[in-house]
Amino acid sequence: MKVTLVSRSGREVIKGGIELADGATVSDLQEAIHGRIKKYYPSRQRLTLPLQAGSQGKPIVLVPKSKLADYCNGNANNLTVVFKDLGIQVSYSTLFFWEYLGPLIIYPICYYFPVYKYFGYEGERVVYPVQTYALYYWCFHYFKRITETFFIHRFSHATSPLSNVFRNCAYYWTFGTYIAYHVNHPLYTPVGDLQMKIGFTFGLICQISNLYCHLILRNLRSPSGNGGYQIPGGFLFNIVTCANYTTEIYQWLGFNIATQTIAGYVFLIVASLIMTNWAFAKHWRLKKLFDGKEGRPRYPRRWVILPPFI
Amino acid sequence: MAVEDVDGIYAHFGGSSAHLIKLHQCAHLASPPPFSIRIPSPSSMAGFLYALRRIYLSLYNWTVFIGWFQVLYFAVKALREGGPTTVYDAVEKPLQLAQTAAVLEILHGIVGLVRSPVSATLPQIGSRLFLVWGILWSIPETRTHVLVSSLVISWSITEIIRYSFFGMKEALGFAPSWLLWLRYSTFLLLYPTGITSEVGLIYVALPFIKASEKYCIRMPNKWNFTFDYFYASIIALAIYVPGMFLVLLIIQVNKDCLPNCFNHISSGSPHMYGYMLGQRKKALSKSKTA
Repeated sequence: MKVTLVSRSGREVIKGGIELADGATVSDLQEAIHGRIKKYYPSRQRLTLPLQAGSQGKPIVLVPKSKLADYCNGNANNLTVVFKDLGIQVSYSTLFFWEYLGPLIIYPICYYFPVYKYFGYEGERVVYPVQTYALYYWCFHYFKRITETFFIHRFSHATSPLSNVFRNCAYYWTFGTYIAYHVNHPLYTPVGDLQMKIGFTFGLICQISNLYCHLILRNLRSPSGNGGYQIPGGFLFNIVTCANYTTEIYQWLGFNIATQTIAGYVFLIVASLIMTNWAFAKHWRLKKLFDGKEGRPRYPRRWVILPPFI
Repeated sequence: MAVEDVDGIYAHFGGSSAHLIKLHQCAHLASPPPFSIRIPSPSSMAGFLYALRRIYLSLYNWTVFIGWFQVLYFAVKALREGGPTTVYDAVEKPLQLAQTAAVLEILHGIVGLVRSPVSATLPQIGSRLFLVWGILWSIPETRTHVLVSSLVISWSITEIIRYSFFGMKEALGFAPSWLLWLRYSTFLLLYPTGITSEVGLIYVALPFIKASEKYCIRMPNKWNFTFDYFYASIIALAIYVPGMFLVLLIIQVNKDCLPNCFNHISSGSPHMYGYMLGQRKKALSKSKTA
């Protein structure tokens, strides 16, 4: 069959189109495109069916494992596919590694090295126990995240655009510096002993719960990287859709209760907003997918992200 | 003229109706065709609310227009009579009023009265308010600088064009093509002059900010919070240029509001400028081909 490849403005991306066997898959098409235009490796290609003129909604994305013939509506010999270049891609592991590395390095620098001298604070610095525990807690958190990235998470998409590296690193590294600066400050005022203990204990429990949530999510996906959706269940997933985000948010709350900085709370609020956004998207996606019709299970009634609020 | 005929109207003014309808629809939520001057009968609730919105937005736009007109008038008058050092004192009150009133536009976006993305208008209005209150009002030493004149004139001309454009759209249902041309052409000069003045004034204010220690919160305190206005201003300066680029990106995401949304940009960056040039080409070539 012949595949005509056009850009979204209608221009032909590959003159004359591509000839493929009738039983070819989308993946074969991707390889063929990559063969013709070297820089467009498969993960950089976004292939969709052309949208009918005037129709709303999202275009149908071609799934790599499917046969091209499945997308031909009637004309089995000709298929027009819309191509979009997603830009340079990096693997999610790479992305996560670099964004988490920043906080992991910057925080101990503020703790161990005399950086505050450059801000005008001369002399010896008194280090409170809470600041030391905060260092351990923080570094454990980001070390855990990096470990999960390489050993636990199963990603739905293999790659992410390169621009996300800069955006995400800016977010994590900036906030990391902002919090590290204040918690390790020479003029830091610690909270009471009980409050510190409550904060760190609660946070630690949430971190361990978070790890368990990630393990549950991992087991929902098969190792072959199918990336399909299933109804999460077990542990906190029985009552909240995004239990992993829930535990993450409460974990930061524990850190902030123990360290009490405006910087930490600002980060908590921003992170919570971002995760809540994701959680709603996931919740609605699951509800839509599992609507109880045609033999599919019905998605149970659950909190979205933050019991007992939303 | 036959105001019911959409295509007719824009053909008359030499504009592409498709492009300009989209432009106009951007300023309204789902509502009946907005080109009729007759107010729909109050018996239909939707019609009533629609008319109310139009009246409110007309009043808003024309009121702020008058504010900026005053700014320009007093600025030019002061320049001729007393010179650049007297401009600020002459324009202070209308400038503060007109610029602070723009906060309402954020509300309009949130409430859905107007379809511009809050994520684009917020940094814009934020930077304007930073200049008006955070620099000019807070640091009096900057008020006699010559850049105040260029700032105030760049802003006021841009805003006069913008508010009259929207004022006409809301009140009359259309805006003349010469006004559209002004909107898309004056930015070529006013963006560079505007942003140069803004950046310049922040820079000029820096030593005075440092010396006055205004708006600073020092540690130790119970919440382990610090704020240093001097460093915050430097950071503001640093993100100014790429910040405008970021706003451009946000607008790209909200693509169908593009022609509308660039209105909210009063300062620019090389990217913004280039983007705007493209928009201008598109908008003006469409009116030529009609």
